[in-house]
Amino acid sequence: MITTLLIVHGLLAVALLGAITHQAFSVRKRTGRQGQRSFVDQFSGVNPAVYATPIVLLFVVTCIGGGFLYPQYRLDVRPTLEDLQYRAANGVFEIKEHLAAIGLGMLPIYAAYWKTPLFAAHETTRRYLTWILTFLVWWNFLIGHILNNIKGLFS
Amino acid sequence: MSAPVLATRPAGRAMIFSVVFGVIYAFCFYYNWALFAYYPQVNEVHTSSLLVETLGPPILWYGWMASAALIAGVSAFIVPRGLSDRMWDGWAWIIPGAVVVAILIYEKRWFVQP
Repeated sequence: MITTLLIVHGLLAVALLGAITHQAFSVRKRTGRQGQRSFVDQFSGVNPAVYATPIVLLFVVTCIGGGFLYPQYRLDVRPTLEDLQYRAANGVFEIKEHLAAIGLGMLPIYAAYWKTPLFAAHETTRRYLTWILTFLVWWNFLIGHILNNIKGLFS
Repeated sequence: MSAPVLATRPAGRAMIFSVVFGVIYAFCFYYNWALFAYYPQVNEVHTSSLLVETLGPPILWYGWMASAALIAGVSAFIVPRGLSDRMWDGWAWIIPGAVVVAILIYEKRWFVQP
């Protein structure tokens, strides 16, 4: 059961990572260059507003999954990390849980600024809210995977 | 001809909630203000702020979030709408961003030898 939940949690995180990375690229400042479009230009060339609701839902559902996995981590994984003296691994997980909480708290204002119609006056706020949330998602994704595989990585 | 749409703040209450949540969450984990503690080994929730060692390792994260959500929710409703609507847009990302930086600085304790 816990393995299934872990896999579902990971898959939801992949979807969230893809969606928010597209949105994060799409809100960067454009150079106004015409003609050939690079891969990055095409990757960024999405309608970012349509990603907002899926991102909010995926963030919440992924966090709920993480919340259900947490007791197993607290009982089995963390003591093992302490026994192995992987202090930094415990530290990065502590940061992961804090960033997940901060991200959950940011969702109402993130959703509000992405609510259509979008106003040009809010462009900067939307950009930085998206980039902060993107940082949180990338951190949590990478740390989750590193911790999941830590025995194989550092043995 | 339709009336021009003004670029007003999307949601004053959402702004207050998000800003207060981040700040209060940081205080909650720093000072250990958890609304409750969950003990997964015995599957029990305790509201006492005193940790019970005999029940196994506690999880305070749920309690910190609950405390922050409660205070942020109340703040969002008691701050007058006029005041929240007048807040500068930049606070929406500067304050959560500053909280993230503060957390990273505080948690560097894990990466230095005790």
